[in-house]
Amino acid sequence: MAALEWIAVSKRFRSRPALTDFSFALPDGASVGLLGPNGAGKTTALRLALGFCRPDAGVVRLRGAPPEEPSARLGVGYLPERLVLPPRARVRGLLRLHARLAGLAEERATSEIDAVLALTGLAEREHDACGGLSKGLAQRVGFAVALLGAPRLLILDEPTSGLDPLGVRDARDWIQAARERGCSVLVSSHVLSEIERTCDHVVILQSGRVAASGRLDAVLGPGESLEDAFVRLVRPGQAA
Amino acid sequence: MTPSPLSQFLALAAEAFGDAVRRRIAAALAILALLSLAIVDSCTSCAAGTIMVNGVPVDGSRIFGWTGMVLYGLLGLWTIAISGALASDHLQQALDDGTAQLALARPVGRGVFALARLAGALAVSLGTGCILLAGTAFFLRARYDFALAPAGVAALGTALGAVSIGALAMTASLYLPRLATLAGVFVVVASIAGANVAALSGSELPAVWSALDRYAPPLGTGLALAVVEWSGRELSASPVLVAARLALWAAFAPTLLAFCFRRREV
Repeated sequence: MAALEWIAVSKRFRSRPALTDFSFALPDGASVGLLGPNGAGKTTALRLALGFCRPDAGVVRLRGAPPEEPSARLGVGYLPERLVLPPRARVRGLLRLHARLAGLAEERATSEIDAVLALTGLAEREHDACGGLSKGLAQRVGFAVALLGAPRLLILDEPTSGLDPLGVRDARDWIQAARERGCSVLVSSHVLSEIERTCDHVVILQSGRVAASGRLDAVLGPGESLEDAFVRLVRPGQAA
Repeated sequence: MTPSPLSQFLALAAEAFGDAVRRRIAAALAILALLSLAIVDSCTSCAAGTIMVNGVPVDGSRIFGWTGMVLYGLLGLWTIAISGALASDHLQQALDDGTAQLALARPVGRGVFALARLAGALAVSLGTGCILLAGTAFFLRARYDFALAPAGVAALGTALGAVSIGALAMTASLYLPRLATLAGVFVVVASIAGANVAALSGSELPAVWSALDRYAPPLGTGLALAVVEWSGRELSASPVLVAARLALWAAFAPTLLAFCFRRREV
């Protein structure tokens, strides 16, 4: 069973098509990069995957079930592109809330929270108010929330946004560690070099349609970087 | 482990309560409640002495009873209105700033989330209302020896009305702009109360007002019926029917909210 699947999905916002006949299955345990220029439909695809909106046509399956069903989202970790943390919530308090929402038992919640705080380098900031954190630290908190409870599927929208070079490297390690324990990963990003390093599959969207998808080595031409392939696929006239 | 919806609801409601307390409007409400109590204290301080109307002494308990009933009714309606006002953007705000999406990516039902936001807002408004109504009941009891049971029944009616109006306001906020919803809350509460009072006084009502009186949550009727014994009068409305209508609306409005929020794209 695929961890996440879009089957012939179309979605319009008023008269503007956001996704058209989009199909892709995220293999269990795989790491997929979702790429495309601004407005290509990446965020819409992620919102559909989480049940935030419904397709006009087609079907979305999250671990085999409709994503609108709460049980389908069990074991899903999500980091949104526009991360807003409750400003007065303490870091540990926010993680405790999400542990309860994720259904972690009290004892496991405490050990999981300690683990993600240590992993994301936030152990000494656990009592800080989220509103007082820098952009990079807030992004680390977002990662801690997403990684809480050892998710089976990670959905990350622009995960390295606001992170310094050390943070970017850390994020890569966290994603790699999640993959090593069998977690499926879906990353939407404009940072192609990071996608190249962390993902084994890519989906390239252009104007709501799939321009290319598959294993990274199958999408890239001989000796071609992901950036070159991206430009070739989304702007054929300017390909190198 | 599959999370329990009750545990999720309690966690989210506590979070929503914290959000509501931290809003500037909550501080304004607390100050207003204290001011209102000071006014109630002042209004109920003229217990001693003889009241003369056109040179004729009148039974003071009737005047105080009538005043107490009106005062308590107005405070109940005010509590209901602020419940609607607080609820009118408490869900929409979480959707606008993106904190709702972070929670809804978890295995949290839409209904659980919406009802928890409602509970958080109501905890603040009803907490404030409780202080106001309990303080007023205390003054009326201490100074005029009014029975406390009607005040308790009226407080219960206020709570049911607050749930109905709060949930309806939150539902409306999913479709209407913030200011329109807020203004709508005060217009609707005042209109229903006006229609109820006019009907209780035996006035002939135009169709729209009559429909409001008969089918909307009986906010004014419920409060008036609960405390009418203070005034020594009787009202023609059936307390059982009015209580049933209040309870039905208090069940229906949150159900409608959960239903509408499930269909809403976030």
